Amino acid sequence: MAGKSLVITSGKGGVGKTTTVANIGTALAMMDYKVCLIDADIGLRNLDVVMGLENRIVYDIVDVVEDNCRLEQALIRDKRHKNLFLLPAAQTRDKTAVQPNQMKSLVEDLKKEMDYVVIDSPAGIEQGFKNAIAGADFALIVTTPEVSAVRDADRIIGLLEAEGLKDPEVIINRINAEMVSRGDMMNIEDIIEILAVQLKGIVPEDNIIIVSSNRGEPVVLKDNPKAGQAFKNIAKRITGEEVNFISLEDNSFFTKLKKIFSFS
Amino acid sequence: MKSPISFKVAKNGIVLKLDPNAEFNRIKNALRDHVTSATNFYAGADLYINIADNSFKIDQLNEIVNIARGYKDVKNIIFTSDVIKKDTIEINNEGETYLINRTLRSGQKVKKSGNVVIIGDINPGAEVIAGGDIIVFGKIRGVVHAGAGGSTEASVTALKLEPTQLRISKKIARPPEESKNRKSLNPERAFIQDGQIMVENFEI
Repeated sequence: MAGKSLVITSGKGGVGKTTTVANIGTALAMMDYKVCLIDADIGLRNLDVVMGLENRIVYDIVDVVEDNCRLEQALIRDKRHKNLFLLPAAQTRDKTAVQPNQMKSLVEDLKKEMDYVVIDSPAGIEQGFKNAIAGADFALIVTTPEVSAVRDADRIIGLLEAEGLKDPEVIINRINAEMVSRGDMMNIEDIIEILAVQLKGIVPEDNIIIVSSNRGEPVVLKDNPKAGQAFKNIAKRITGEEVNFISLEDNSFFTKLKKIFSFS
Repeated sequence: MKSPISFKVAKNGIVLKLDPNAEFNRIKNALRDHVTSATNFYAGADLYINIADNSFKIDQLNEIVNIARGYKDVKNIIFTSDVIKKDTIEINNEGETYLINRTLRSGQKVKKSGNVVIIGDINPGAEVIAGGDIIVFGKIRGVVHAGAGGSTEASVTALKLEPTQLRISKKIARPPEESKNRKSLNPERAFIQDGQIMVENFEI
C-alpha cells in the first residue's frame, strides 16, 4: 500500500490542531480507510487524551526511534475503529529526542501499511514543527478567525513553501456565524485574501467540541450537525471527493426559521 | 550619456522602454548589458516591450526578442504600444533593481541596496528594506523602508498602501487608525516632501 501523509499545523497554539487531527483521522477511518495518527508534540502530548487512548500507551514515538521497540508495538489500535491507529508522543522527553530524517523514515514505513498518515504538529516553528513536517506529503493549516492566528498561519505557509511543501490548504476553525454577520469577527473572505491559499474546510464554533475532547470521543462519532459534519466534509475532500461548503447560515435550524418568518 | 533603455512601471507590469532617438546598435548593447548584469530581473514575470515611438525593421525586432530571451525564466515577451504617461514612475536605472515575483509572507524579509519591485503582496509581518524605491504590484500590509541608506528621494508605490509602518530615509509614518475601504484597490505613492512623508493617489 502506498498511503499519503499529511501534517496538520498552525504556528499559533490553541487553534484546534489536535482536535482536527482526531476528528479527520476518525472520519477517514469511518470511511474504511486505514489510518495512523502521529502525535509529534513530544513532551506535551494531547492526542491520546482527545482520542481517549491515554491508558493504553506502552511505547511511544521516541521508543520507536531509539529502537526500544518495533513500530507495530508502539501503535495503539483505536477502541472504536480497528483500522485506526495512534503513534503517541513521549511525555517525558522533548522535541530534540527525534530528528527530521528519523521522522521521515518513520512516516515512510507507516505509509506502506496505511492509506493515510495524519501528523499532529506542535505549535511553534522550531524543531518540533520541523520534525512534524519532515515526512508529510501535504499540509493543512488550521487557523481561527483571529488576526494573530492568521498572521501565524501566513508565517507557517511561508516556511512550508521554503521546505518544499507546496500548496498548503487552510481550515478555518471555530467560526461564529453570528459574530461574522455582526462584523465582529474576521470573515472567510478576509482570511483567504491574506493567506492566498485554497480553503479546505470551515468548522463552526461548537461547544460540544470541549465536551467531546474531555471525554476522549471525537465529535465525528456522533451525529453532530455542526462541527462534526464539517470535519467529515474535510475528510471527504482529503480523499478527493467534492463536497460543498456548509453555508454558515444554514447551520442553525433557528436562523432558517427566522429567515422564513422574515419573509412573511 | 543617458542609457537608451529604461524600465517603467505600468498597469500590466514592468515595461521596457526603448529610446526612439538612439541608434539601434546602442539599444542592442544596452539591453545585452542589462540581460547579463540583471539576469533574474524578469524571472517568472512577463516582459513588456514598449515600441510606441520607435520604428523598427522586422529583423531588428527579432534581434531584440532574441536578446530579451536571455533574461532567465522570463515568461512571455509582449510588445505594447500603449503610450506611457509622462508621470509614470521610472525605475531608477542607476542602482540595481530586484524583482520579486511572489507574495512576501509574515516573517519573510527582503533587504536590498537597490530598488525592489514586487509582483505580489507584502503581508503583515513581512518586511522590505530597500536602498532605493519600493514598488509593489499588490498590497502593502507589512513594514516597508525605502531609501534605507538615507536617500530622501526614495518613494514607495503600491496598488494598495496599507502598511503596518512605512519608512522613507529617516522618517517613519503609520497609517491612520481608522481602517480604509478594504476592498478597492487604490494605487498610492508615498514620498518625502518638506521633511514629511506624504501620500498621494497615483494613476497607472
